[in-house]
Order: sequence, then structure tokens, then C-alpha cells
Amino acid sequence: MLEVSDLSVRFDTDDGPVHAVDRMSLTLAPGEVLGVVGESGCGKSVTCMSFVRLLPETAHVTGRVLFEGRDLLTLSARELRRIRGREISYVFQEPMSSLNPVFTVGRQVGEVLQRHLGLSRAAARSRTIELLRLVRIPAAERRLDEYPHQLSGGMRQRVMIAIAIACDPKVLVADEPTTALDVTIQAGILDLMRDIRERLGTAIVLITHNLGVVADVADRVVVMYAGRKAEEAPVPELFAHPQHPYTIGLLGAVPRPYEGEGTRERLQEIPGRVPSLHELPQACAFADRCPRADEVTRSQIPQLREVRPSHFVACFHPGPG
Amino acid sequence: MNVIVVAELDPRTRRRRLLRKRFLRRPVAVAGLVVVLFFVVVAIFAPWVAPHSSAFTDFNHTLAKPGSRYLLGTDELGHDELSRIIWGARSSMLVGVLATLLAMVIAVPIGMVAGYYRGWTDTVIARATDVLLSFPFVILAVGLAAILGPSLLNATLAIGIGSIPGFIRIARGETLARREEDYVPAAIANGATDRTIIFRHILPNMTSTLLVQATLTIPQAIIGEAVLSFLGLGVQPPQTSWGVMLQDAQSYTSQAPRLAVFPGIALVLVVLAFNVFGDGLRDILDPRTTR
Repeated sequence: MLEVSDLSVRFDTDDGPVHAVDRMSLTLAPGEVLGVVGESGCGKSVTCMSFVRLLPETAHVTGRVLFEGRDLLTLSARELRRIRGREISYVFQEPMSSLNPVFTVGRQVGEVLQRHLGLSRAAARSRTIELLRLVRIPAAERRLDEYPHQLSGGMRQRVMIAIAIACDPKVLVADEPTTALDVTIQAGILDLMRDIRERLGTAIVLITHNLGVVADVADRVVVMYAGRKAEEAPVPELFAHPQHPYTIGLLGAVPRPYEGEGTRERLQEIPGRVPSLHELPQACAFADRCPRADEVTRSQIPQLREVRPSHFVACFHPGPG
Repeated sequence: MNVIVVAELDPRTRRRRLLRKRFLRRPVAVAGLVVVLFFVVVAIFAPWVAPHSSAFTDFNHTLAKPGSRYLLGTDELGHDELSRIIWGARSSMLVGVLATLLAMVIAVPIGMVAGYYRGWTDTVIARATDVLLSFPFVILAVGLAAILGPSLLNATLAIGIGSIPGFIRIARGETLARREEDYVPAAIANGATDRTIIFRHILPNMTSTLLVQATLTIPQAIIGEAVLSFLGLGVQPPQTSWGVMLQDAQSYTSQAPRLAVFPGIALVLVVLAFNVFGDGLRDILDPRTTR
């Protein structure tokens, strides 16, 4: 349904160009939950923002984003607005500030319904109540007339999700939807995501740096590093047989609270830092931090290849740690 | 058993109550509001409040001292001073409010477009505003009034246009700040048009700033009207205004200084009242205010 190929994003800054995303490819099937994982600045958000061209004007986006046979990167602004929030919608990281403080939540959900579906004010209102119930906001009829500052972070994120699913979109991009929330509330939001996929059949792109979240809700995972895809596999496969040293490093850095006597190991960190994205190295971007790096790694860009069934890795020396 | 019932208040009502409480804690601002309201009421009900019409002349009592017959005395033509001050309040309020509204209606969209789109649009608008702001307001208004010709309407236009640059700057600055807030990209991601974002998302978030700017622009416009009338570029007889009265009083400053003092006091009082009220408003609407 959604097919991203050779997507590259370059930002022209005062310090020269920054290559945020380099020839990234993704596919998303209807009803699928795709996890996109990576460190801050690895290009996961930028990749997903460029689907409907939400990036600032300083961004140069090349490649193709095919959505139901149309290349979104070539659509006019007017056509894009019909897709944004209706076919492809977004939930962002900051529930505290993504709602407009001067309007009631009901009006903000209703605004989308009126714009995209042409509902009347009254119809939008009753649909809003349904939506707020769907995202499990208690006493939805009362919450409707409240202002964002009266809601907790978790409730606000639920409202944001209600806005995002208001027009029954085919794709929901959730960019770190739980990062700003308490752990107990995170679980509720993830549960809601699963519920939305099951009840509405919405395909979800879940951007996160938390592998635990991915294991919890995603079907398939893409691991990104320095603007490139490092590894891609179905969730059980990736967790059972990680191939890329970076993925292995990430898994080693996930805390596992108390798994029985004497198993409390030190968390493994990945040495070194993410490379600057000012120039694209003609080498594996992870080489400087990789225990397996050698001459080949430092002189060529690794291509993605299938090492196990539907398990792709961009690494010269893949294999379990 | 004691049950504490916490009354659930509508958030608007609650905010209004909080603002009222904060406002009442500022006696100077309250006094300002009282004086402003007093003059507004007097201006609106001038025909009923004023003892005489603005054209009234009593040639038997010219330059009369304040007394029981004429509370504030009469001028050289036998006009009743008190009546003229009341009728003059009309001109002042009318010009002050209308000119400010005119400036807002024109300037706010321009400033918001500049702040929202930035780039060369912003550069052109912002620089042009800077050029206009470099002229003193009164000079700008006098120049415009001289071109348009003397009348109350033209004075309003001149003062309104003269107030535009200040409003553009405020609206632009606010928009620049607001467009960076997270609800703007969220609205874009939901398919909102630029117009929706500017007028439905950003504008309502800057109403308090605009309100404060308006209460500080009105007194400026009132002074502007007085200046124009003083120079003969404003109100024409038989209508009157405080500026006209000050002008008329000039020739009699040694014989009857009160002719200049009374309208002067009215002018100072109104301008000061608007300013302290505006200051108070700014304080209570500032989210950082805790008192």
C-alpha cells in the first residue's frame, strides 16, 4: 500500500548540507504495524515526515513515496492536504503542546471531521464523542468541552490519537507516541494502538527508540542507523536472530529487570558516537563503532541482502553476536 | 458526615473569575477603567448629559467665570465650557476607538502573513514597517491629514493609518513565536490550509496581546486627534473637540487660562486612564503573573 523507495533527504544548513536520510526504502502492507527503530538523529522521523512532505522548506527530498499507486512527492499542495490527516495521519511525541490551548478538545477533533468529511457541527460533535470513547477517554461527553490544559498527558495523547484516526486513515504514523509519558500510561497507549489496528485495520508506522515497544506491538522492524537502513526483519525473527552488530548492540542495551537469581548483568553500551551526517561516508556508517570492522567495511557501502528468510541486513559481516 | 462538594466550573468561567480577581488587586488599573468607562458613558450620552448643544452661544456671557449659571464658565464666544468638553469627549472617543479598529483590521492580517510565511514577503513588510516606524507617529498623522483634508473622518483615517506599523510589528512578532508551537505542525499534518492555521489556530492565541496593544493605541489616537484638531486638521465647527478648545484658548491664555486648563485636564485624564488600564490588563493577562 505504501512503498517508499530510494528516499533521500538533505537539509541545507549554514554549516553545509546534512544528509539526514540516504536511499531509504520501506514498504507497508494494509493493517501492518511496522516498527522503525534507531537512535536520536538516525533519520527515522525525517523519513516518515517526508511521506506527506511535512518537512521544512530547507529539506530536499528525492526518491519516491508511492501510496496506492500515486507518488506523494509529486502531488500538489492541495492534493496533499486531502491526504494529510485523512489517508495518512500523524501522532507526534509532544502531547502536552500539540493541542491548541485556546480551543476545547471537542472542537479540535471536530475541526478535522468538518474539514475532511464535510460533517456538520452537530454530526461532528456526536462523532467526536464516539471517537473519544474509542480511544478510551472516560466520560467522553464531558471531556469534549474541556480545554487541553485540563487533561493529563496520557489523555491528551489519546485526544491526539482520536484526531489522527478521526477520518479512518489507511496509515497512522506514530512518532514516539509514548516517549513523553509515564510508563504505566505508555502501556495503555500501546494497547490502544493495537486495538486501533484490529478494529479499524489501520496500518501503523511506529517510530521509537525503544525496542521493548517494538516487541510489544510491531509485526516487522526496520532498524535505522545514520540515515540508512541497517536491518529489517519480522519481530520474532529479529529478536531471536539479530544479525547486524548495531542491532545486537541495541538489544544488549535494553534493560531486563530481574530474570531470576544471578542474572543481573551489566547493560551493554555501544561505544563511540553516531557519525556526523555532513558527508556521506563511502563506507559502512557504523564502521567506527563496530567490533567487526575491517578494510572492506571502511571502503564500501554495505548493500542490503537477505541473510535469512525475509530478514535483510546491510552488513559485510552479519551473524549472531 | 461532611461531604465536600467541589463545584465543577466551566473553564471559561473559572479563568474569567481568576482574571477579575487579579484585576481587582490592582487599584490603579481599576481606577483607570472607572475613568475610561466614565468618559465613554459621557461620550455616548452627550446629548442628554450636556447642558447645551455644541453650537450653543450666549453672547451676553462671554468669557464668564465658572459659576452656577455655567459650571466651568464660557469662552470668548459664549460657548459653555462644560458642554464643549462633553461633546469633545465624543470626538476623542470616536476617533480613538475607530482609528484603532481600522489599524487593527488592516495591520493584523499583514503582520500575520509576514510572520507566517517569512522569507522575502516578511523582509519587504518588516522593512517597510521599520521605515514607517522611524517617522514619529504625530508627523505621519499630520502629513496624512494634510493630504486628506480636514474633517473628523479624515482625521480618523490619518490616525488609523499612522497606527498601522505598530500593529504590524506586534502581529508579526506574535505570529513568529506562535508558528513554532507544536500545534502548528500538528494542524499541518492534519491537512489544514495556511488560512486555517493563521486565522483559526494562531490568531486566537494572540488576542490578549492585541487587546493590550489596542488599549495602549487608543490613548495615542486620542492625542493624535487633539493634535490634528489643534492644528485645524481635525474636527470642523460646529462640532468641537478638546484640540479645538485648546486652540481657541491660545489667544486668551493671560485673561482666561482656565479655557486651556479644563480641556487639558480632560485629555490628560483620559489618556492616563487608558494607559494605566492597559498596563493592568497586560499584567493580568501575562501567564507569568502569579499575583
